Amino acid sequence: MNPTLRVFLHAVIGTAFLVSEAHAQEGVLSARDLAAQLSNIIQDGSSIVRLRMDISKPGGGGKTVLQIQVKSRRTKSATDLVYQVLWPKDRKGESFLLHRSGGRAPSGTVFTPPDSMVPLTAARMREGIFGSDLAYDDLAENFFAWGNQAIVGTEEVDRVPCQILESKPGKGDGTSYAKVRSWIDTKRMVTLRVEKHTDSGKLAKRIDTTRVSKDDTGRTIGSSFSVQRSGQDSVTEIEGSNSKHGVTFPVDGFTPEALRALK
Amino acid sequence: MTFFTIVLRSLTRRPVRTCLTLVGISIGIAAVVTLVGMASGYEKGIGKQLDVVGIDVVVSNMSGGIMPKMFDAALQQKVAALPRVAETTTVLMRMMSVEDAPIMMISGREWGGFTWHQMKILEGRMLKDGSEKAVVLGTLAAELLRKKVGDTVQIETEELTVVGIVDGRSMVENGTIFLSLQVMQEISGEEGKINFLDIRVSPNTSKAEIVQLCKDIKDIFPEGRAMVANEVVGTSQGFRVVRAMSWSTSLLAIIVGVLGVMNTMLMTVFERTHEIGILLAVGWRRRRIVFMVLCESALLGLLGGIVGVGLGVLGLITLGASPGIRGFIEPDINVKLMLIAIAIAVVVGVISGLYPAWRSSRLTPSLALQN
Repeated sequence: MNPTLRVFLHAVIGTAFLVSEAHAQEGVLSARDLAAQLSNIIQDGSSIVRLRMDISKPGGGGKTVLQIQVKSRRTKSATDLVYQVLWPKDRKGESFLLHRSGGRAPSGTVFTPPDSMVPLTAARMREGIFGSDLAYDDLAENFFAWGNQAIVGTEEVDRVPCQILESKPGKGDGTSYAKVRSWIDTKRMVTLRVEKHTDSGKLAKRIDTTRVSKDDTGRTIGSSFSVQRSGQDSVTEIEGSNSKHGVTFPVDGFTPEALRALK
Repeated sequence: MTFFTIVLRSLTRRPVRTCLTLVGISIGIAAVVTLVGMASGYEKGIGKQLDVVGIDVVVSNMSGGIMPKMFDAALQQKVAALPRVAETTTVLMRMMSVEDAPIMMISGREWGGFTWHQMKILEGRMLKDGSEKAVVLGTLAAELLRKKVGDTVQIETEELTVVGIVDGRSMVENGTIFLSLQVMQEISGEEGKINFLDIRVSPNTSKAEIVQLCKDIKDIFPEGRAMVANEVVGTSQGFRVVRAMSWSTSLLAIIVGVLGVMNTMLMTVFERTHEIGILLAVGWRRRRIVFMVLCESALLGLLGGIVGVGLGVLGLITLGASPGIRGFIEPDINVKLMLIAIAIAVVVGVISGLYPAWRSSRLTPSLALQN
């Protein structure tokens, strides 16, 4: 038996936005192979994605809607991300840059118009981006590339059979999480749920894929997500609007200075 | 006491049970009216849009996701040179969330093309030319975005001025943001790309000639598809799925209704064994007993159908006004669907009454009277 199914995955917002239609192998993949495939798919080159982010804070906290442009460049050796707020007007231009290479801790810069340029410290990496439930850390790390991977069970998510992949960081994998469990629809190679756990084993964050659709390249991707932090009553809904792959960015496209320009 | 008084009295004897049965069947019928009405409204909306714009043939590559894949605008010249093609115009359309509004249609149309002609300016003005970085909004789009002439709309990284509000003469057109193709291509970084090529054929072109034109287009654009506008809806896989889903979901609801009516009628027959025995003893034929039970269940169906249609219409109005649907789908509230739904309810009633009627006809007067 050698039926190779195409495997697609796309990471729009870091590892949370795990994508895709796959040419999964008909046989059962080992945890390492599954993680490796997913990790490879995340490295989908250069792309621009449009997102709508709804941050709901029940109990009088109100609701914030943001339109965001994401520029990403992902290769095996490095990840560069730029997130820029397009709307509302009063927040237009708020942006940040994230860079991660190899197993090193991510670095970044936050820009607030007109002139504030602040480096992202390690402590700030756990803060939510633009006041949402999604942290800088979540975008930069690739837990499928961590040293320890195991399949710990199967479960249906919205009637779709999934394999539960448990990823634990190795020595060099700088992360604030002790383990991450992801529910993988191996037929389409789409991650339908991610749960991130702390050192004490408590659930810290849960990311559910709420919509699966095709991207500009025809790949099946998770395009809408719901992010919830444990113990918090806020919910962040992320809805992918459109994406464009194979984009050529200028040489300085992923530098702090590039954050000043919105294009 | 007439035959129909007996039928009516048997239903009013247990009013709570009758009402609950009516609720059961009316929910099923409401589901038919709501789901089929929405699906039909969606189809009609697209059909009407193509009709008012005056498109005869649509060329696109539907192998992508919700929206067709983009292709080179240079195809327009080749298609325009084909026989029977009177006019062509190109479109780059996208569906995306704009500001805080849900996903909506953004249509970049070739400036001067015939797709601009059907729009009626209600406020402000039309674009000055194809290079003006501005938009005109359909009435519903303006309402959803809460914009008036002079405001700006953020599309991709650009803020575009709203210069006019137009009546697009169809729900889909009215829910759309219009800008020139050139500006749309610029702001989305898709210079030279389109995803629709709309064609008007010469007057008096026969259907066979249009079909031949579609084949000719397929020859020069093998990865795409040319479709006769009025067949777009009928042949679309997406529409077929929507139609099938709405009917299959309705069917499930109807089956639940059937079981509810059947249960009620069986209970009625069991409770009225004595009465049926008397009717048989005084000379009623078994056929008449069967007819009586069937009339009762049909009446239940009819009443459930009428209530269900009312609920369904209410559902359609509510759904049509809800955010996310408003501007996209105009629910199809039509008399034909209502009559079909009521007819279904009556048939459901009769079918549900068949078994209880058969049971009642099996009773013998002596045994029935003993009970």
